[in-house]
Amino acid sequence: MPEQEVILDNEVGLHARPAAVFAKKAASFDCDIKLVKDGNEANAKSIMSVLKLDVTKGDSVTIRTEGDGAEEALSDLVELVGSL
Amino acid sequence: MRTLQGTPASPGVAVAPAWIFSRAALDLPKESVEETDLEVERLRDSAEQVASDLEARSAKAEGELAEVLDAQAMMARDPEMIDAAVEAVRTKRTPAPRAVVDAGETFAEALQASENEYMAARASDVRDVCVRIARRLVGADDTLSQMSQRSVVVADELPPADVGELDRDLVAGIAIAQGSRTSHTAIVARALGIPAVVGLGEVEVDPGDEIAVDGDSGQVFVEPDEKTRSEIESRASRAEDRRRHLIERAASLEGSTRTRDGRRVEVAVNVATEVELKAGLEAGAEGVGLFRTELLYLDRTEAPSRAEQSAAVRNLLDPLEGKRLVIRTFDFGADKPVPFLSLPTEENPAMGVRGVRLARDQPELLDDQLGAIADAASTGDRIAIMAPMVATAEEARWFVERVERAEMEAEVGVMLEVPAAVFMAGEIAEVCDFLSIGTNDLTQYLFAADRQNGRLGSLQDPFAPALLRAVKAVCDAADGRAWVGVCGEAAADPLWAMIAVGLGVEELSMGPESILEMRVSLSESTLDGCRAAAAAALAATDAAGARGAAEKALG
Repeated sequence: MPEQEVILDNEVGLHARPAAVFAKKAASFDCDIKLVKDGNEANAKSIMSVLKLDVTKGDSVTIRTEGDGAEEALSDLVELVGSL
Repeated sequence: MRTLQGTPASPGVAVAPAWIFSRAALDLPKESVEETDLEVERLRDSAEQVASDLEARSAKAEGELAEVLDAQAMMARDPEMIDAAVEAVRTKRTPAPRAVVDAGETFAEALQASENEYMAARASDVRDVCVRIARRLVGADDTLSQMSQRSVVVADELPPADVGELDRDLVAGIAIAQGSRTSHTAIVARALGIPAVVGLGEVEVDPGDEIAVDGDSGQVFVEPDEKTRSEIESRASRAEDRRRHLIERAASLEGSTRTRDGRRVEVAVNVATEVELKAGLEAGAEGVGLFRTELLYLDRTEAPSRAEQSAAVRNLLDPLEGKRLVIRTFDFGADKPVPFLSLPTEENPAMGVRGVRLARDQPELLDDQLGAIADAASTGDRIAIMAPMVATAEEARWFVERVERAEMEAEVGVMLEVPAAVFMAGEIAEVCDFLSIGTNDLTQYLFAADRQNGRLGSLQDPFAPALLRAVKAVCDAADGRAWVGVCGEAAADPLWAMIAVGLGVEELSMGPESILEMRVSLSESTLDGCRAAAAAALAATDAAGARGAAEKALG
């Protein structure tokens, strides 16, 4: 199961628009995608779950993908987080 | 009769039955579901309909509102929320409306527990979305579009998605428990000319109760007595007669406003949103004299992107069709909530690091805004850019250079609102294309009288000869090198405007509700009359004297 740890470097973490942008992107893939922070796992396609994780600037999160196109989804999402 | 006191948010009066916009009125079914498959299908369908409805509204909206609606559309499709609701329907036979409200509540509570203000606000977005889905399921969509009888809308607050649906012909007035004069509801109400009172605290009324709204005094009367009712009604009908009369007189006016003896005066509109621009253009505004750009920044946890800022400018340029758009660069400081800047607290923010001072402190923020304007501009647009809070000629020069570096075709000017700038208006006019007098702040600084302090009302009268002399000093100093406009509240008063025209002001910018009357008044005046009014007012010793003298001079 491909996964990668990323550090949120932007000012607001995954709060405001970035949460919506991230969840929307995740929802465009067929595979399962999880976002993990401090052992809490969230469905990355669910904006409410992503918000609930309360990811702020400097937090380290893991993106975990499983299923069709998992590798591609992972690299796209890691890139997206870097550009937020 | 009960009398409630709130904050006046949009002028005018109205009396009509209450139309309660209340989320509590939703009656959720309690009996267990028999056919769970069918119920799940209904749930998914309704959620999808709500999502696409919100998306459609987002597409029509702008800026932050568009973003909120877009995020809400995603919430309506949220797989975790839907799964939780479906699970409740299947395993507990919970009716879909209840299941979706409960599922949303679980998330909302988690978000609300966060210390982050932004997250708490999203909790109410989640609840709003789930209740919308539930309402669709029980067939009780209570959007304002379903109102069929002229009413006063009473609400705790109006969700952003619903404000856009206010219909001037049906909504007689608005009474809101929450909110402030700068809330979205207040802005839209003013633009549409709907009397509104906000910040009433609790509003306990039943559907159909007669409600009188006084948007001038901020009072709301529940079941008004005969005397109050007839007074409000006659004020409302006088205002309506006046409006009809103005429309009749305005019908014969040509595109641009001129006095009877041919002096051209540009009557422009002050806007923060597209809805105000639309209302202004309908009333015959000849351009935008003040675009307040602060809405793009307030309450934001990250800076608005250049693309978003550019789109906001473009959205105003399109309907203007080549008419001038005067953009004021951001004017905020420690007094406004701009989370992404984390500005230090100041003892006296009105006189602190705000406007052009903040721009010099953080030039990249200004460059970003100017770049966004340059991106938005295309052939045929008429753009003017002005800096707020300029106090010295050196600041004006710095700003002009900054705009020049952004490489676009635009007039460059400054707001004249600091007394020091009045004395240096000649030197400032030397480097600028125009000077726009902001009477609200200029009065506050000229009289050292806090504009928020109601007890100092007598020191905030725009007819005060001291302010009129300042306007004269600016016009004289500019001496044709730069055009002079006025964009404060005083510019909306026809008598004050005539004095200003007599002093040499060439452009007047005001709220959309004042445009029609201003065009008519100026078209029926003469430049000679305006000059006589100006001379008489300048010679007075106080505001009341100036007003009286100007009226007398105009006959």
